[in-house]
Amino acid sequence: MTPQHLLLLIVALPFLGSFAAAFLPTRARTQATLLAGLIAVVGAVGIGSLYPAVSQGQILLSVTPWLPSLDLNLTFRLSGVSWLFAMLVLVMGALVILYARYYMSDEDPVPRFFSFLLAFMGSMLGVVLSGNLIQIAFFWEVTSLFSFLLIGYWHHNQSARDGARMALMVTGAGGICLMLGFILLGQMAGGFSLDTVLASKDAIHSSPYYPLALALILIGCFTKSAQFPFHFWLPHAMAAPTPVSAYLHSATMVKAGVFILILLWPVLSGTDLWYFAVAPIGAITLLIGAWVAIFQQDLKGLLAYSTISHLGLIVLLLGLGSPLAAVAAIFHTVNHATFKASLFMAAGIIDHETGTRDIRKLGGLWNYMPITATLAMVAAAAMAGVPLLNGFLSKEMFLAEVLEDHSGTLIDAVLPWLATIASAFAVLYSIRFIHQVFFVAPPEPLPRTPHEPPPWMRRPIEILVLACLLIGIFPAATIGPFLASAVRDTLGDQAPAYSLAVWHGFNRPLFLSLTALAGGLILYILFGGRLNAAKASPVVGRLKARRTFEAVVERGIAIAGWLHALAGTRRLQPQLRVLMIFALAAAALPFLFLGYSVGSERWTGVDPVFALLWLIGGSCALAAAWTAKFHRLAALILVGAAGLATCISFVWLSAPDLALTQLLVEIVTTVLLLLGLRWLPKRQPDIWPETRMPVQVLARRGGDLAIAIIAGLGMALISYAVMTRPVTDSIADFFTRNAYAEGGGTNIVNVILVDFRAFDTLGEITVLAIVAITVFSLLRRFRPASDSIETPEQQRVQADFDRRHADREVGDTVTDALMVPRLIMQWMFPVIITFALYLLLRGHDLPGGGFAAGIAMSIGILLQYMAMGTREVEDRLMVLPINWIGIGMLAAALTGAGAWLFGYPLLTTFFRYLDVPLIGEVPAASALLFDLGVFAVVVGSTVLVLIALAHQSIRTPRAARPAEPKAGEEQG
Amino acid sequence: MTLAQSLSIGAPEVVLAAGALVLLLLGVFRGNDSLKGLSWGAVILFGLTALTVIDDAPARELAWNQIYVADSLSAFLKILILAGAAAAVLMALPYMQRVKQHRFEYPVLIVLATLGMCVMVSANNLLTLYIGLELMSLAAYVLAAFNRDEQRSTEAGLKYFVLGALSSGMLLYGVSLVYGFVGSTEFTRIAAGLSAGGERNMGALFGLVFVFAGLAFKVSAVPFHMWTPDVYEGAPTPVAAFFATAPKVAAMGLFMRVALDAFSGMIADWRQIVIFMSIASMFVGAVGAIGQSNVKRLLAYSSINNVGFMLIGLAAANAAGASAVLLYLTIYLVMTLGSFLVVLSLTDADGNAVETLDDLAGLARSRPWLATALAIFMLSLAGLPPLFGFMAKLAVFNAAVDAGLWLLAVLGVLSSVIAAYYYLRVVKILFFDPPADVVVNGEGGAVINNGMMIAAAVFCSPIGYLLLGPLAQATRTAASSLF
Repeated sequence: MTPQHLLLLIVALPFLGSFAAAFLPTRARTQATLLAGLIAVVGAVGIGSLYPAVSQGQILLSVTPWLPSLDLNLTFRLSGVSWLFAMLVLVMGALVILYARYYMSDEDPVPRFFSFLLAFMGSMLGVVLSGNLIQIAFFWEVTSLFSFLLIGYWHHNQSARDGARMALMVTGAGGICLMLGFILLGQMAGGFSLDTVLASKDAIHSSPYYPLALALILIGCFTKSAQFPFHFWLPHAMAAPTPVSAYLHSATMVKAGVFILILLWPVLSGTDLWYFAVAPIGAITLLIGAWVAIFQQDLKGLLAYSTISHLGLIVLLLGLGSPLAAVAAIFHTVNHATFKASLFMAAGIIDHETGTRDIRKLGGLWNYMPITATLAMVAAAAMAGVPLLNGFLSKEMFLAEVLEDHSGTLIDAVLPWLATIASAFAVLYSIRFIHQVFFVAPPEPLPRTPHEPPPWMRRPIEILVLACLLIGIFPAATIGPFLASAVRDTLGDQAPAYSLAVWHGFNRPLFLSLTALAGGLILYILFGGRLNAAKASPVVGRLKARRTFEAVVERGIAIAGWLHALAGTRRLQPQLRVLMIFALAAAALPFLFLGYSVGSERWTGVDPVFALLWLIGGSCALAAAWTAKFHRLAALILVGAAGLATCISFVWLSAPDLALTQLLVEIVTTVLLLLGLRWLPKRQPDIWPETRMPVQVLARRGGDLAIAIIAGLGMALISYAVMTRPVTDSIADFFTRNAYAEGGGTNIVNVILVDFRAFDTLGEITVLAIVAITVFSLLRRFRPASDSIETPEQQRVQADFDRRHADREVGDTVTDALMVPRLIMQWMFPVIITFALYLLLRGHDLPGGGFAAGIAMSIGILLQYMAMGTREVEDRLMVLPINWIGIGMLAAALTGAGAWLFGYPLLTTFFRYLDVPLIGEVPAASALLFDLGVFAVVVGSTVLVLIALAHQSIRTPRAARPAEPKAGEEQG
Repeated sequence: MTLAQSLSIGAPEVVLAAGALVLLLLGVFRGNDSLKGLSWGAVILFGLTALTVIDDAPARELAWNQIYVADSLSAFLKILILAGAAAAVLMALPYMQRVKQHRFEYPVLIVLATLGMCVMVSANNLLTLYIGLELMSLAAYVLAAFNRDEQRSTEAGLKYFVLGALSSGMLLYGVSLVYGFVGSTEFTRIAAGLSAGGERNMGALFGLVFVFAGLAFKVSAVPFHMWTPDVYEGAPTPVAAFFATAPKVAAMGLFMRVALDAFSGMIADWRQIVIFMSIASMFVGAVGAIGQSNVKRLLAYSSINNVGFMLIGLAAANAAGASAVLLYLTIYLVMTLGSFLVVLSLTDADGNAVETLDDLAGLARSRPWLATALAIFMLSLAGLPPLFGFMAKLAVFNAAVDAGLWLLAVLGVLSSVIAAYYYLRVVKILFFDPPADVVVNGEGGAVINNGMMIAAAVFCSPIGYLLLGPLAQATRTAASSLF
């Protein structure tokens, strides 16, 4: 197997194992452990087998082509530093799996736990082994996700749920920032592959996006590695089972941020920005973590804050920017993982055996579990930085580094003090941990009598503590080569000379170390007894990062709700208003900011009469809108008046044909609407009981009025701006030139309709016919049941009037009411028909045409219905609108198809003038027949709708009427 | 070009139109009991149409005097649209039976809307665009009010109609202004006309603004988004699922074509508008969703939020951006369909729909697989790896950075952090909260729905990455037809 395949396999195995573990039976604890442990061991052996190549400075790449277009290949890359981290992940993984076998109780669904843990291990391997930035960001988020699942593993526990969610929100959000930072970084470097990025230091430093990218990447790393001010999630993640805390939250996942900082150290560091962004954060975290750890009463809480503090130490080292500091950072990362994981495991054993993690309740465990106590003491000593243990070595390097000058600012002067104080605190909490738990007699009897754990549960700790000792005593022989290859990989040419030895002589770092040890001890002797009474850590405890976080989240939700209530609405009117206002604003922008102005054509002035006409029209429209809610009839009439103003404008602008059509359309629609209105209440005077509109309604309608006026003015302005520009060649010229020459008519509109665009017209009349039939059937089907309709109010009034007068029959008033207009309308019928025919015939050359004629004809029939009533009209007149429609359609289609007979395309017209006796020269184009079709369809459609409406009036209303007033009562 | 050639280029639309009429006639004669048959007929019709789409050569072909274009972009979008429409038809079957609204018009209306959408994405002329848009919208208005016995549905239809008509009016006004100032409604000629003058064609800018307003309404981008939650909540759930998917694809595709093809000469101008809409949509979508207690409203805000991300890709105005939008659309389509499928399959003991978040509490205990599916969709919508939604977000951010729009990308990240909050909240409710008292049943006998749900969940899961290669290739080819 080639190293490339091996790499791929090592990353894939944990995921496959995770999948398999998910399907194991719930109680299969041992099998799941074996599966998981085997995978970790195989992975470790595999990675280990690649060490010879890595130790020679080779970089192993496994590239699977995937998305070359996005510069994305599935790349895994093994170099010195990633080898070290991968080994850490796998070896720690194996130890934690062994430990977890004994830690988890029988009731827990252990296979699920191992499934999550393996998936986490895989994604952590993905992070450290990925060879391109996007892949790292991907696996990065996956680690957050599985951390979430692992923290929330005991989901019946409220604090586990909260802790899991908080951890995911903080690290997940950081991960998204990291992703964008990586995208920017890839953009600067010209590719996402790690080799490309690592080779383009200069391009990255000189890019204007460097600060942004750095900030985003740092946010990502700081959230993951629990740096101040994002550190608060880590203590709450301690609700997880202890193996998870040992593995994720001390050894691996929290080191992911540190890993990225180390990995990108060569290209990102070396600027002032880096120094001032990273080092102070690290220093603050170091100090705060150590301070708060002193006052913890929960074992795991103490360890969590101690972890935060140590992570701060590593970040501070990386921030210093010197190669030696980077070496120290890498070294301390490994050391911290070993001693902290063993301490977590010891804490887990203590919790397991005694049933509590509260330092105040614990004590005297030395008597019950001396082996565990010894192991914990060694590990804690390493944490405190006691010589001959690994923690001491890296701490020495750290102290040596902070004594150097790095920036020439105040920070240089403060750092040694700060480092010493933090180290003293570390000594203090380490002593407290050991002393309180193992030696002081407990204040009250322990919940359970503890004894030593099963030996195999202790093995992982033994191994780790042994590692602490070996590294601490023989550093060069144990960790030396591995550290060297990692350092060479990260620092390249910059790799400094350093010496891994226990004894460097009496120097300043040693002095600081000893001061810290002594200081910690003295502090514990002085104050140690009082620490048990501490409820929260003084000074810093006030910060309460978690509560701040929750308050921010809660506040955010409240603000979101408030904003939503403010801006969101379910009501239609405000939505319309918003739509209009935005459209207005958008249209106003070019005028206001982009210097758009009216055109250059001359202003021709306004005729006062024309202005008056528009004033009237506008007022009518306004009034219509104002009354529409209260009095529909009045509104309709006003709308008609506004339409009339439009008609007159057309006449004014020399478009008689358009004017005629518009007029007729106005009439027909108004009348049809009028007929339709009879089903609606005539007026609604009772909307506001006090007959006065409330102020807010008035304001609202006033606002709407203003919007309408502004929108109208805006449209006018745009139109004006358009019309004052020189006219480019338009299609109108074509029609004026060719209407007579090719269409044989001088009425251009009509020629367009029946000739140039005859096909369109054919389509339009078809649509018209369909619409009419649809309206007809809708009105027939969806009319109110006769049981529910009442006699219209007008008829009731009239009937009452008739009843009150002895000499009148009910119905007389209706008959008499329109006597004179009725007569006139009846007489007008033939005249209108003649007029319609006239319009039809002359349409080709003069205003008129089939459409106008059809409308005119319909008006005639409409008037008949209005004057005489449905029954009477239909007694005398055979109106068969469906036939009209059918014949019209046929006529139009056949005329068009007729052209085929002569070998022309569909709808080609033929025209000539015929000399008819008496009438004179008459245009006889084939278009006339087509126009006839149009005429018939228009008549048929209009009348069909009319009939549907009119027939409503001959139905007998059966609804119960309101009690009728008795005759005579109101006579006086 | 002869009519026959045009007809063969426009074969997908011809097939759909003819099929719609056949289905309608069948429905009229066979009555409402034929719903099931008609639905399957519609699905088969979509399949046939897809065949004609795939059959087309990837070369760019124009038909009917250049008003219609068939290219790889339209082909890609049509496949998505047809898939979304087919899902919408199928998923409705059990629902319609349950709410006793099984009317044969449903599949017919969907087919008609699909026809309109296909015309939209093949438009090479502002008027073709308008016709397609209106055909889709008219069918959609009716669909929104399809559940006639329910007041919410009727209200949704009315609102959608009134606001939609207003936005269509704006669009048409914009079209006429563009025509007036550029002298053509054809995309290629508009592009040529805009770049001809040398100086900025200010008049066309007006037209552009109004056209964009109309299009923004259809994709429900802020500030033209307000109808979305109301309509999604009120409309029958399958219809809401339809609205959230296929029409979004069509409108977004159309948006891309108009912006990157017709108005390619005014990128600097419209980019401002698109950036504004993008930022506003991302934040309004994210913030608005936080306070929602109804799942459908939540999904509506989620779709607004996602449209904001897609607009990032559009604002990039380069090939990478365009293919990112297409990738986003594809993944979004599946995620959203999946989420609605889950919502659709939740009913209480009496068979009423379960739509509030509170009712979903602890669903993981009573119906673990359903909860898992919903969690996958939510996390995928949040863009969390290892789910497929991550790729969509990555692609648009990458395109934005590519185009130098880093501030937009940063704001996008910020809003996705906010958005992640409410997606995670749903997951938390599903898995961690104590179970609600509501008995949640799965839809009985909805084998097909469950199948689609599983397919969608698998697509959104890490397994979806296996499809990324061909998908990226397809989106790149499709996007290349715009540049």
